[in-house]
Amino acid sequence: MVNGMMGLFQYCRNKIRPAARINEKIPVEKVRYVAIDTELTGLDERKDSIVSVGAVRMVGGRIDIGSSFYRLVRPDSELTAASIVIHEITPSEVMEKPDISEVLEEFIGLCGNDVIVGYCLSIDMSFINREMKRIFCRPLTNEMLDVRLLWDWLSKRHTNHKAFSMPLREQSLYEMGKRLDIMLSGAHNAVMDAFITAQVFQRLIPLLLESGIRRIGDLLNIGSPERGGGRFKLGGEASNF
Amino acid sequence: MLFEDVIDFFKNIPPFQFLEEAVIRDIAGSVSMEFYPKGSVILRQDGPASDSLRIIKKGGVKISMRSGTNEDVDLDYRGEGESFGLVSLVGKEKQKTTIVAIDDTVCYLLDKQKVFSLIESQPTFTEFFLQSHFTKYMDKTCREMRSKSSFQGSSDHILLTTQVGEIANNDVISIEDGSTIQDAALAMSKHKVSSVVILGSDALPCGIVTDRDLREKVVAKGRDVRETVKNIMNLPLIRVDAKDYCFEAVLKMLKYNIHHLLVIKDGALKSVITNHDILLLQGKSPLSLAKDIDSQQTIKGLIPVSRKINSIVGFLLKEGARAGNIIKIVSELNDRLVKRVLDIAERKFGPSPVPWCWVVFGSEGRGEQIFKTDQDNALIYADTTSAMQEEAAHKYFSDLTAFVKDGLEQCGFPPCPAHYMASNPQWRQPLRTWRKYFSDWVTRPTAEAILNSLIFFDFRPLYGDFSLAEDLRSYLAELLEGQEVFLGYLANTVVHNRPPLGFLKSFVVEKSGEHKDELNLKIKGIMPLVDIVRLFALERDVRDSSTLGRIAELRNKHTIIREHADEIEHSFEFITLLTAHHQAKLLEEGKAIDNFINPNNLSNLEKKTIKDAFQLIAGLQDSIVELYKAFIW
Repeated sequence: MVNGMMGLFQYCRNKIRPAARINEKIPVEKVRYVAIDTELTGLDERKDSIVSVGAVRMVGGRIDIGSSFYRLVRPDSELTAASIVIHEITPSEVMEKPDISEVLEEFIGLCGNDVIVGYCLSIDMSFINREMKRIFCRPLTNEMLDVRLLWDWLSKRHTNHKAFSMPLREQSLYEMGKRLDIMLSGAHNAVMDAFITAQVFQRLIPLLLESGIRRIGDLLNIGSPERGGGRFKLGGEASNF
Repeated sequence: MLFEDVIDFFKNIPPFQFLEEAVIRDIAGSVSMEFYPKGSVILRQDGPASDSLRIIKKGGVKISMRSGTNEDVDLDYRGEGESFGLVSLVGKEKQKTTIVAIDDTVCYLLDKQKVFSLIESQPTFTEFFLQSHFTKYMDKTCREMRSKSSFQGSSDHILLTTQVGEIANNDVISIEDGSTIQDAALAMSKHKVSSVVILGSDALPCGIVTDRDLREKVVAKGRDVRETVKNIMNLPLIRVDAKDYCFEAVLKMLKYNIHHLLVIKDGALKSVITNHDILLLQGKSPLSLAKDIDSQQTIKGLIPVSRKINSIVGFLLKEGARAGNIIKIVSELNDRLVKRVLDIAERKFGPSPVPWCWVVFGSEGRGEQIFKTDQDNALIYADTTSAMQEEAAHKYFSDLTAFVKDGLEQCGFPPCPAHYMASNPQWRQPLRTWRKYFSDWVTRPTAEAILNSLIFFDFRPLYGDFSLAEDLRSYLAELLEGQEVFLGYLANTVVHNRPPLGFLKSFVVEKSGEHKDELNLKIKGIMPLVDIVRLFALERDVRDSSTLGRIAELRNKHTIIREHADEIEHSFEFITLLTAHHQAKLLEEGKAIDNFINPNNLSNLEKKTIKDAFQLIAGLQDSIVELYKAFIW
C-alpha cells in the first residue's frame, strides 16, 4: 500500500513539476505571461467539463500571436444544447479530439513558469485544477492575474480615462474589449477569447505602470484572485479608500 | 480564427501582398503584437537598435530626430499598413530616430530573424525594402514619396537576376601591409581605382583602404601619410561570392555602410565591386548617358538617346536624389543634347558670317527642367557693320534656327506655342536690337514688357560666343540700376500671385474645368518662389540664372534671403520634387505631363510641407509689399 502510494506520487512528480516561485521584483514588462480561456459544457463544477482550451503567450505587453494554442477536448459529460449554441461546437467535432489528460499535459508545458492571465479566472481554474488533481495529483501552481480585478482596481484610479468613464454595463470580457477599442472579430472560441484577454491586459499595462505598479509582485497583489486581489492599496493611498 | 485576421491584414499591404499565400501564413504564424498608448515612445534615439520590423496595424507614429543643436526635427509620419524600424534592424547600430505613437497604436512585430529570412528568400520583399531604405543621403521629405513610387517600376529586377561576377570587373590592386598611407594613395591614383587591398605577410588579404578612408581618416583628421596603412584600413573584409546576386551585394553595402566589397570566385579574391558598379548595372548612370549624347553625329542618332533622359528622372527619384541635384543633372543632359544639335547644325551650314550666341531662358534658362518642356530659346549675333553682312546673317541664321528648331523637336522638345524661339525673327537679332528690347521693357513697363522680362531675364548662354550674352547681361544690370519703377512693377506681379493659404482647411484649388479640385504646383508653388528670388536677384545684380544659385549668392546680399534662404531652398526643392514624382507617374502611365495634383492624395507630411511652403511664400510677399509699398497697388 505504501509502495503503491509512493509509486503514484513518483508518477505525478515526474509528470509535472510545479511552477517555480516567481521573483517578485521582476519588472512587469519583462515577465512572461500566458493568457488563457476555456470553454465549458456548463458552469456546474460537479457535472460539467472542459470543451476546449485556448492560450496566447506574452512577454510583457508583447503578444506572441504565433504561439497561440487551441485544443478541443473530448468531454466526459454531454454537450448541452445551450453550450452548442454558444460555442458552435457540435458533439461530433469533439468526439474525435484528444482527451483532457493529453490536452492538459500540453497546456502545462505551454504555461511553464509563466503568470497565467484570464478573465474571471477562478472559474476556468476550478475546472482545470479539478482535472489536474484527478490526473496529476496536484493543481497548477502558477501565479495568476485576473483582468477583471485589474480593471476594477484601475477604474478607481483612472477616472478620467474614457474606458472607465462609466461602470461596465454588462460584466463581460467583450465589454472591456470594446471600451479599450480592441477589434472584436468573428468567432467566440477559447483562443479568440484568450487573445482578447491578452489584448485587454496589454492595454492595461501602461495604465498600471502609470499608477506605480512596476514589479510583478505589486501586480499580483492587486490582480491575483489567490491573493485577494483588488484589496491591495499602494502606500499613501490607504487613507483615500 | 486568430491567424485569419493577421493574414487578411498582411494580404492587403505592400510588400506582403505580393508574397505567396503560404509565405504570408508563415509570417502570420510568427508575428507578435504590441500596443503603444498615444504619446508613448516606441523607439528612442541613441537607444538600442530595434529588434523587430514593426508594421502598424492601427494608429500612427511620428519619426523625429534630435539635431546637433538639440532641436527635435520631425522627419516623417507613418500610418496604418506602413512599417518602421528596418534600418536599425539591418544595421547593428543604435537607433537613429525617435518614434512616438501619435495615437493609440497597435503594431505587428516581425522579429529580426524572420525579416532576414524573408530578405534572403523573397525578392519582392527585399526589393521593396531596399527601395525604400536604399540610401541615407536623401532629403527627409523625399523618403515617403520614394517609398510610394517604389513599386511603379520594376526595372530594378536586374539587381535580382545579375550575378556579382558578371559586373565586377575591377582589377584588384593590392599592396603589402608594411606600406604607408601614401603608398596606398599612390597605388590607387596610379591604377585609377577607389580602393586598394592590403595583403598580410602570408600574402592573404587582411584589410581594405578606400577613397573614403583617405578622406575621413587621413585628410579630415590631419593624419601623417607616412603612417602605416594598417592604421586606416578596414576590418573585417566584407566579401560576396561571384555567384551571389547583386542585391545581396547591395544588402551588404547597406548593412555595413560600405561601398566596396571583395568578390570571391572559387575561393580566391577575384575583384572588388563598388556601389558605382551597381549604379552602372542599372544602365542609367547619368554619366554614361552624357557620353552617349556627346558621341552622336546626327540628329537621327540623338533621337533614341534623348528619350533616355526621361527615364533618368525616374531612376534618380527612386534613388532618392535631392530635387536640386535632379534638375542639375537633367539640365546638364538637356544642355548637352541642345549643344549637340547646334554643333550638328553649325557643321551643316558652315561658318557663320558673324559671331553668335545661343541663349535659353524660362525653366531651361534657370536650369530647372524636370522633363522636357517647350523650346524657349533665342539667338544673339554680333552687330553687323554693313547691309550686305546683315543680309548674309539674316539668311544664315534663318536657315540655322529652322534646322535647330526641327532637330530639337525630333529630340523631344516641342516648339513653343507662343513662338519664344530663335526661329522667330523677333528673337533672332543682333546685340544692339537686344539691348533696345531690354531698355524698352525696363523703361516702359507695359504688361507685355513685364511678361517678356519675366521670361527673358532668366536667360543663359548655351552655345557659341558667350561674350555676347555677357555683354547683354551687363547692360541689363546697368539698366536696372535705380530703376525702382520697373522693379516695382515686377514686385506687383510677384505679390499678386498669392498662395492658397486656405489649403488644408478648405482647399483653394481649381474650381472648375478639367482640373477641378486640383492644385497647380507650377503656378501656385514654383512660380511664386522663382519670381520672388528673381526680383531680388535683379535688384542686387546677381547674374546666376538658377533659383538655387541666385539664393546662394543672395545669402550675403539680401537680408530677406539671408533670413529665409534655407526655408526657400527647402520649399523649392520639395515642390519641385513633388512635381517630378507627379510627372514621372503620368509618364509611366503614358499620359501627358501636367502640373496638377490632387491635394487629397498627399500624405500628411506632404500636406504639411506644402502648407509651410505656402506660408513662407505669403510671408515673403508681405515683406515685398513692405519694401515696395510705393509701387504696390
